[in-house]
Amino acid sequence: MSFFKNLFAQKEITLSNGKVVKQPRSIVPIVLIILGFFVYISVEITGFDMQVLIRRQRFFFDILKAMFPPRWDFASDVWQPLFDTIKMSLLGSIIGAVAAVPFAVLASQNVNQNSILRNIIRVVFSILRTLPTLIIALIATYIFGIGTFAGTLAITIFTFAIITKMLFEQIETVEMGPFEAMESLGATKTQAFIAAIIPQLLPTYLAFCLYCFEINVRYAAILGYVGAGGIGLLLDEKLAWREYSRAGMVLFMLFVTVVIIESMSRYFRKRLT
Amino acid sequence: MHGLYLFQGENKVIKFENVSKTYPGGVQALKNVELEIEQGEFVAIIGLSGAGKSTLIRAINKMHGITEGTLTVNGLVVNDLKGKSLRKFRRNIGMVFQSFNLVSRTTVIKNVLASRVPDMPLWKSLLGLYSKTDKIKALESLDQVGILDKAYVRADKLSGGQMQRVAVARTLAQDPKIILADEPVASLDPVTARQVMGDFRRINKDFNMTIIINIHHVDLALDYADRVIGIKAGEIVYDGPASGVTRNTLNEIYGGSTEYEREIGEA
Amino acid sequence: MKDNIRKTFEAQPKTLVRNVLIALFLIFLMYWSSTAIEYAGIHQGGTNVARNIMRGLINPDRNLLFSTTAQGVPYLILETMAIALLGTLIGAILAIPVSFLASRNLMPKVISGFTMLFLAAVRTFPAFVYGLMFIRVAGPGPFAGVLTLALTSIGMISKLYIESIEDLDRGIIESLDAAGCNTLEKVRYGILPQLMTNFLSTTIYRFEINVKNASILGLVGAGGLGAPLLFAMSAYRWSEVGAILIGLVVLVLIVEQASSMIRTKLARG
Repeated sequence: MSFFKNLFAQKEITLSNGKVVKQPRSIVPIVLIILGFFVYISVEITGFDMQVLIRRQRFFFDILKAMFPPRWDFASDVWQPLFDTIKMSLLGSIIGAVAAVPFAVLASQNVNQNSILRNIIRVVFSILRTLPTLIIALIATYIFGIGTFAGTLAITIFTFAIITKMLFEQIETVEMGPFEAMESLGATKTQAFIAAIIPQLLPTYLAFCLYCFEINVRYAAILGYVGAGGIGLLLDEKLAWREYSRAGMVLFMLFVTVVIIESMSRYFRKRLT
Repeated sequence: MHGLYLFQGENKVIKFENVSKTYPGGVQALKNVELEIEQGEFVAIIGLSGAGKSTLIRAINKMHGITEGTLTVNGLVVNDLKGKSLRKFRRNIGMVFQSFNLVSRTTVIKNVLASRVPDMPLWKSLLGLYSKTDKIKALESLDQVGILDKAYVRADKLSGGQMQRVAVARTLAQDPKIILADEPVASLDPVTARQVMGDFRRINKDFNMTIIINIHHVDLALDYADRVIGIKAGEIVYDGPASGVTRNTLNEIYGGSTEYEREIGEA
Repeated sequence: MKDNIRKTFEAQPKTLVRNVLIALFLIFLMYWSSTAIEYAGIHQGGTNVARNIMRGLINPDRNLLFSTTAQGVPYLILETMAIALLGTLIGAILAIPVSFLASRNLMPKVISGFTMLFLAAVRTFPAFVYGLMFIRVAGPGPFAGVLTLALTSIGMISKLYIESIEDLDRGIIESLDAAGCNTLEKVRYGILPQLMTNFLSTTIYRFEINVKNASILGLVGAGGLGAPLLFAMSAYRWSEVGAILIGLVVLVLIVEQASSMIRTKLARG
């Protein structure tokens, strides 16, 4: 950073008592120029065209208008896939969250001294986290066939990856004082861990799991698009058939579900921390 | 009761015989320490920071090891203890820390009950299933330090002095024979510090408990302890009754440092 | 036993029953959710697919991976990043007024409540729905992808902006007030500096996520790595699949690294 600051002649300010102060030049103009350059390239690559947008924007709103008012009698068809979506995210979140625990412990510096094992785990997890859930779901449908299993698997892997990261970061910043106290009164390392470290981690861990579940419900809705079960499939169908008011119903019910789940999650998360 | 057999007989003696501790870098924390402490003594260890007070006290329950000499507690060679025998040994020694070392997010009573964990099966400690006897014992310990009314309060809602008392209650619930305290009152204000020192004195008298305290407040050491040990640069330079500590003694221990000036002013 | 001890013992909070009920509820939830899973065993040829993908990863299509044509992985990576860049920028800019409207400490409850609801609705729409809608507007291809990302980004970026706004330190504004500044000056010197770094950090974070999303959008036909991936998979061209996946992972790893470096720099200065 200072390299860049020194690259440009610094403005000098002379104070009334003769002292000279060097004011480093701001880096903002350079950043803006570089950014502008990349924006220009991006516009070229993506074919971004403001005029097209303005001219054809009504198509977007046409569809939107066709979705609402939604077709209420379609609701009965939506319940099953909706519940499937919720179940997929629930199961995936729970399994992923539980499975993350031993791996997070192994990936923490202060518990696991073996740095080879630790780094292998961390690298594997980095890679797992980079793969978008939808792609994992896509691959899963090829291996396990279309249906809810593939979707649940994708959610499990996603949850597993991010909770492990969050958990081992937590474990590494935990207070070791109570742990030391437990060892001084004759506890084994495991007993000390249970009595001193778990109580510190539990509230944040649970809060994060709830947050994950929230996210997963919305993800699960998307996964259906690749055939991995849930409401996405239904939605895609209705859109493809241009049955917009039915699609609108699906979206409306999804909206209500997500709002309910999010409020409950927020309430419990506040209670936990 | 567990571990009692390690402490048979009347005089549970802590014996340092020519004990030294040298760290891998070459720093010598303890030099030829000769010391004997009998059951029921109230001992205060004073000296500059880094003089070796912590190393001395933590050697007793093997939180720190020693490199030369023999340290025995009631005949048991501490250096030989490891694994299960070490843990059984430690059940009889309570330790109180400067930073209290409580689990702040759980309740006071759960913190005290933590001292029962080594005697419980793993699954019970995981689920937090403590027996009625254990709970009563925990409550009695809390009562002994005067904070029974805070039993179900979350630990981080207490003041510093109260938290330290919970820590003391935690050690009492172990039924120890010795209590080691590493700068127990350093984080407390003067009034609260005296309350906690008073607790220690009461426990010492009521239970004939050996109490060994690291402390850098000279005035508190002289007011509450029976016996004072002064350490300078890893060596014992004074070992005698608190009443026998003179200005000269303190001069020797603190060697004319500014810390000494401050301490002297309070003595 | 002393009287006060017995009383305290009996006063203990009765959490056992509650905990057992919670545990039972969780078990029930797990059972209920597993009823949705149809595990038909591994699809015929499923193990083959898995093995082939592995093979494809180990032996990727070198041409595709290093070619400079518009079908090559490098160009696709560039396209994905371009989509993410524009989408994030547009979303970030649009999110500013929206988040101001939605913050409870700046706006009356009615307005902020309504805006929050609106944001919740925007966020509920799965990305592919927007994708399909925008394809109607802009035709299939990366342009639709940009628009989709912009709209979906507004949702999440606003949420984080709102947090920063609601965390505003009023003290700074108070001291500016005491020094005699007018509203514009207060905004410029009191509010903006506090928010700028947070907004920037949020935007970069969202860019990172959008890079992943942009690759997904291809599945809908909105440009980026997704579409070629889908084609390659349906045509069983596994080494191509491997090449694209590798490109994807490398891209995301690099962006993640750069993003966290920049954001820590922003946070610590």
